[in-house]
Amino acid sequence: MSYVWTIAEQSKGKLRGVSFELLSRGRKLADKMNTQLCSVLLGSNVSDEALQELIYRGADNVYFIDDPRLENFIVETHSNVLSDLIREYKPHTILAAATSSGRSLMPYVAIQVNTGLTADCTELDIEEGTKHLLQTRPAIGGNIMATIKTPNHDPQMATVRPKSSRPLPEDTGRVGKIIRLSLKDELVDNRVEMIGFRKDLEEFVNIEEAEVVVAGGKGMKKQENFGMLKELAKRFDGVVGASRDAVDRGWLPYPHQIGLSGKTISPKLYICAGISGSIQHLAGIKTSETIIAVNTDPDANIFQLADFGIIGNLFEVIPKLNQRLENYKKEGK
Amino acid sequence: MRYNPVTKKIVDELVEILGPKNVFSDQEKMEAYSHDETSAEEYGHMPEVVVTPSTTEEIAKIVKLANRELIPITPRGAGSGLSGGAIPTFGGILLSIEKMNKVLEIDDGNMMMVLETGIVTNEVNALIKDRGLFYAGYPMSLETCFLGGNIAENAGGGKAVKYGVTGRYIMGMELVTPTGEIVELGGKLSKDVSGYDLKQLIVGSEGTLGIVTKATIKLTGLPTAKSNLLVLYKNPKDAIDCVPVIMAKGLIPTGIEFMDKLSVKTSCEYLNESLPYQDCGAMLLIEVDGTNAEQVEKDTESIGDLCMDNGAIEVYVADNYTTQERIWSVRRNIAEAFKVVSPVQSLEDIVVPIATIPDIIPELDRISEKYDIKIPCYGHAGDGNLHATLVKNPNHTMEHWHEIEPKALRELYEVTKKLGGKISGEHGIGLKRKNYLKEVINPVELNLMKAIKKAWDPNHIMNPGKIFDLE
Amino acid sequence: MNIIIPIKQVPETSNVKMDKETGTMIRDGVESVINPLDLYAIELGIQLKEIHGGKVTVCTMGPPSAQKALREAIAMGCDDGILITDRKFAGADTWATSYTLSEAIKNMGSFDLVLAGERATDGDTGQVGPGIAAWLNIPLATYVSHVDEVTNTHITVERLVEEGYQILKMPLPTLLTVVKEVSDPRLPTLRGKKKARATEIPVFSTENMNLNEGSLGLKGSPTKVVKIDYPKVTRGGKMVSANGEEGINAAIDELIKFLEEKELI
Repeated sequence: MSYVWTIAEQSKGKLRGVSFELLSRGRKLADKMNTQLCSVLLGSNVSDEALQELIYRGADNVYFIDDPRLENFIVETHSNVLSDLIREYKPHTILAAATSSGRSLMPYVAIQVNTGLTADCTELDIEEGTKHLLQTRPAIGGNIMATIKTPNHDPQMATVRPKSSRPLPEDTGRVGKIIRLSLKDELVDNRVEMIGFRKDLEEFVNIEEAEVVVAGGKGMKKQENFGMLKELAKRFDGVVGASRDAVDRGWLPYPHQIGLSGKTISPKLYICAGISGSIQHLAGIKTSETIIAVNTDPDANIFQLADFGIIGNLFEVIPKLNQRLENYKKEGK
Repeated sequence: MRYNPVTKKIVDELVEILGPKNVFSDQEKMEAYSHDETSAEEYGHMPEVVVTPSTTEEIAKIVKLANRELIPITPRGAGSGLSGGAIPTFGGILLSIEKMNKVLEIDDGNMMMVLETGIVTNEVNALIKDRGLFYAGYPMSLETCFLGGNIAENAGGGKAVKYGVTGRYIMGMELVTPTGEIVELGGKLSKDVSGYDLKQLIVGSEGTLGIVTKATIKLTGLPTAKSNLLVLYKNPKDAIDCVPVIMAKGLIPTGIEFMDKLSVKTSCEYLNESLPYQDCGAMLLIEVDGTNAEQVEKDTESIGDLCMDNGAIEVYVADNYTTQERIWSVRRNIAEAFKVVSPVQSLEDIVVPIATIPDIIPELDRISEKYDIKIPCYGHAGDGNLHATLVKNPNHTMEHWHEIEPKALRELYEVTKKLGGKISGEHGIGLKRKNYLKEVINPVELNLMKAIKKAWDPNHIMNPGKIFDLE
Repeated sequence: MNIIIPIKQVPETSNVKMDKETGTMIRDGVESVINPLDLYAIELGIQLKEIHGGKVTVCTMGPPSAQKALREAIAMGCDDGILITDRKFAGADTWATSYTLSEAIKNMGSFDLVLAGERATDGDTGQVGPGIAAWLNIPLATYVSHVDEVTNTHITVERLVEEGYQILKMPLPTLLTVVKEVSDPRLPTLRGKKKARATEIPVFSTENMNLNEGSLGLKGSPTKVVKIDYPKVTRGGKMVSANGEEGINAAIDELIKFLEEKELI
């Protein structure tokens, strides 16, 4: 039927935002091919309202396999199930999120169903005539954009960076089918056992899915100085990130690291201070919508990518900015 | 010395020589020209006017004007100096060579290059790399400093054991003398004893004997292979004792850097570096380079073996970017790491006979204890050039620091002198150390220096207040 | 415990400057190094061997010059290195790469653990590790940040996910891809370097592996690059200087205006 599929994600029965972002990507492709868009969800205890929201936000069909054994993400079982669905329904295109789950699941599935996979795409399109999925992704630290296709294999598969597209507005007028499927026992892989989950005592940040990220680098000089960035992040309901240098120095833990050896992010707003902008770091922030940088060195690489650059001492600028935003909030202007 | 102020009339005359874009006197723009890498609060001073000439002839005209009107001129490169040498202590005209950055000739046949002196030193090597050539006369600040500043300070750096310092590579120069004459000294000659070697007098004269506008520099073959050793020792003596052992075998490392325990510990903690530094009392960072990768590997191994046979606890080898960057960042971040503890410090530059380095370490400990400050000691062991740095105790007041800093410095310099050393190896005397010079060098020598200055600069307008004061 | 670590040589780009005119990276003199994220896998492998005994074998698929990376890993403390090289492997995508590596691993005999860096900094896909696990049909844990417990039959690991750390008990053999938190790589010692130089590096190629030729290299790769663009990196944003009290205030005024225009405040 050459459907377009998106792989929805859930956590403890709640849909994750990236599920809707994928639908807005998938909708465009499905419309271009004049076909249906299906959202596939593997999980447990997801409410009807949540499933309905997938339809309101672009899906024509929702395939939902509801089983307690799918509650936690275990790659072996999830990929067995997805591969089985692919063999049965033969979708044309599958989009998944470049999250810790998507980035594990999809490469495993790609081998199981014998097809290609392109990681971390920033643009997707359908080639006229062939209907091949054109998958564009940054490569070599974002210095080139490579457009890739999978001409002789099906399905066409890609992962998409969280926050790199906006969800469609909820359209409660949309109708679609929710198709509940049951989990086949033989697909459950019991080799791996999830025995626990640990959340750090300090608030755990998810910099990949944050709308606003405020990051600091080597120029922050010491751990305590990140306080001013935390304050700034709070004003935007954002989170704090760090360059590799800052994480190497132990100022913030690894989950905060941005760049090729950490997380790649696409927030609406990225503010950074004391980061000169190595190729690695720039690759990790390139797809941010708006970038603001503060650095003393006017020749710092970061300024080439900044939409707004302040050449100055961050220790003077950031506290003043915090103060200014505080007044702004009070006075409403 | 009494100087005249820079009046509107003089500014107008400068504008006539240089055009309005190259003369400015608004405070905000001039601020950047009022200090170098030394503490701006302690040593900074505003110029009255800043000029940015683009030709030697313009500079000569400005110098003539300064002589006529008795206005001091302070020549300035990139402002990366560490001795206050480019600070306009008496106001007057700050002459920045930033627009003198043309490359005039790359002479492959003679392996020389002629260029203006306002070029960033690192760019010199970028320009000739493809030809397989290399300019070895650069200091550690190569990414920001200018060639002109390197000549004025006779800069050193981390590779002087093998390559020597800037002066070795300066074959000729065009100079505007303190009286505004233009003269060419030296040339593309490997040997030249036709009279006094004035160009070598200019090298390291800290801008007090004229402004070098062009330089002919000697090039060598580009080293294509590089390897580093990070060697851990129980104590500084074991580390330093290794240096002559290596040299005696005819192995010439590019550089041998020394770091004492305090430096290593502070830098590693700052970097969160997991090297096993806790049990080590000193480290050497040895670099080997060359054009033959196998030879470099062999030499590296020979040096490593010598270290292991002579008291080293462990030898790490870094022969690729990742590992080299990791060990060099321990060395490079020492100053930064101490700045985090206490931003107020006095970065020193003493130089002693290599074999006496172990003797100076206990003296540093003594001074450090006496004044309750930290004195990390690191630097270029292979040249006996140590950046012992006085770091203000964060618990002390600034008043207290100002009171003890000169005393501690004096003691440091006395010790240095006693060991046969001098107070600056590569940073220069400048403004920062001039009060101490007379105490540590022979009065006859000092008088000869002053006599030279008077002969070259009768009106005493060229970078006054540096190295020594004239009565 | 027999541990196999597939590594990759990548161009060293962390200190590379950008060309201001074109916005592209200046790649002159860029040397090849071990993928920085692979170093964490190597260190973990060596540590596990030091505690539990056994052997660590590193392997890499690449040109013959990639044996430098293998020797560096051996100098750090790995026991053996295997170079997987053949012209027919060139141009492989992640599917074909993971196929070739998985076949090479099968060729190496029995193993308990395959450790890999979470991804390579050049390709930046993170797909080869999971791909190898799928080809070998062994369990997979990605983003492993900590190893809790190792027994004869199992390894318990923590993996970093969006909401925290998932704790998994994996049966051996298994494949882990690791992140920085898992270890602090050591530096190679002089002794290690000497040993590495003396170590013989066997070569695996189409000659001595039983490979499906249709699954190799560019030809065997399902994905094809159809177009390469060199995007202008430079955004040409607004730049302001913030010097002195007034300068800073003015810069912040401008920034507030900018944020308002972008509807960010």
